[in-house]
Amino acid sequence: MSHASLVAPVPSSASPPPRAAWRNGAALPRIVCGIVLLAVWEAVVRLFAPAYVAKPTAIIAAIPRVIVDPKFFDSVGVTLLAVAEGLAIAMVLGVSLGLLVGRSTAVDRALRHYVNGFYAVPMIIVLPLFSLWFGYSGATRLATIIFAAVFSIIVNVADGARCVPREFIEVAQSFRSGRARMLTDIVLPSSMPYLLAGFRLAAGRALIGAVVAEFFLSIGGIGYYILYNSRSYHHNEAFVGVLLLAGFGVGFELLVNWSTRHFMPWYRRGD
Amino acid sequence: MNINGLRRQAPVLLSLLVGIGLWEIAGRSTSAAFMVPFSTTVERLWTMTVSGSLIAQFLDSAELFGAGFVLAVIVGVPLGLLLARVRVLRVGIEPYIMLVYATPMVALIPFILSMMGFGFAPKVLVVFLFAVFPVLYNTVEGARSIKPELIEVARSYRSSEWALWREVMFPYTLPYAMTGVRQAIGRALVGMVAAEFFLSATGLGQIIMTASQSFDTAGVFASILLIGLIGVGLMRLGLKIEQHFARWRQ
Repeated sequence: MSHASLVAPVPSSASPPPRAAWRNGAALPRIVCGIVLLAVWEAVVRLFAPAYVAKPTAIIAAIPRVIVDPKFFDSVGVTLLAVAEGLAIAMVLGVSLGLLVGRSTAVDRALRHYVNGFYAVPMIIVLPLFSLWFGYSGATRLATIIFAAVFSIIVNVADGARCVPREFIEVAQSFRSGRARMLTDIVLPSSMPYLLAGFRLAAGRALIGAVVAEFFLSIGGIGYYILYNSRSYHHNEAFVGVLLLAGFGVGFELLVNWSTRHFMPWYRRGD
Repeated sequence: MNINGLRRQAPVLLSLLVGIGLWEIAGRSTSAAFMVPFSTTVERLWTMTVSGSLIAQFLDSAELFGAGFVLAVIVGVPLGLLLARVRVLRVGIEPYIMLVYATPMVALIPFILSMMGFGFAPKVLVVFLFAVFPVLYNTVEGARSIKPELIEVARSYRSSEWALWREVMFPYTLPYAMTGVRQAIGRALVGMVAAEFFLSATGLGQIIMTASQSFDTAGVFASILLIGLIGVGLMRLGLKIEQHFARWRQ
């Protein structure tokens, strides 16, 4: 079996920084397309859909109501806290296992099929099992988030650790560096871009994991807020929650792209 | 199998055997409500297969997966090519595609449920939504990396727009689209299970839900093992497809 199954996408730095959009004339088509998309949505809903279905004008009208709603505020906080906690645990686990898998042939051989296997498994199928194990509680959500996030970190960090230039290792060895220091001072910094790519994937998956867990378990959080409001036909309010999730998704993406550019200017995508 | 092949496969077999052994020991030394050993899981999988219920549910799921996935490819690839060809459209729509791509699709399921109900169509829509964006995104990425020279040469030979698509754009973009197809396979599988969990319980999703609700741990393990194996198999298949088409991509 080749390494190809371990290859995960590396962040693309292809999109230009936003300020450039004004100069190269991209802003106008973007604004026009945005308005057209919203107008089509509004028109289709008004003409063909029942009144409760979310439409742009009603969503905008709902935003001020929703963001001052303490229930919404609490839901967002609970979910974000769980995602942050889960991501932190997944990072510690994922980075240490990933470094081992990437640098040790024995560990790689022992674990590769399990890591790839669990990575390929649709993460939401573990929910019924986790709910048996941890009950219908926040613990199940946390476990789901960790499960959703950890394998993409392992896979990416292992990839990065494998790609450390041989010269780096040789120089460190000729200065009689110990194995542990080699991992922390050479391998880890050198695989940072991969780690960030893994983190970006993991963050997206963690968010999905949290929402799915809240749907499944009916425990409080932004996912449950969306579920509850759409069940009671408050689609506009529920959609504000979706917008927030989209914002987090894009936010993670921008954060990773920015830190790759800012902290690792020497790193270029292989193109 | 020759000696060399055996030597290469040995660590894999060993690691799988150790894993199964650990599972067996863990299963035997804990309560059956918490975990069941590997042997019980396989036994349950076998009885489920023999009774025929598993095969019917599997076909049900496969139909859903197939419909959503094929729809995603049929829509994603031509739309991606169109966006790549019409620059204004691409520049205008790309940020919104990225936005939707970054949104967790599962969050849309409650809306789909209350608007479209419990039928087959809303479930196909869920699988489609999960799968279409990787295809679309990768096709656009591929098509925009077509060298302008290629299009200019075709133009100077007075190629028609249709011939340009058929002879230049489509073949050039195919490997990229296949990367999207590989990613879409994984996401369509998640969409399939999500649709079966949260819309109407059918197929493999129903098996696992029923087992979980009746605290039938063996049933839960058996169905997770099965869906896991399907996931790994589909992933392998996706990689094979991608590598097949990537042979002539630099």
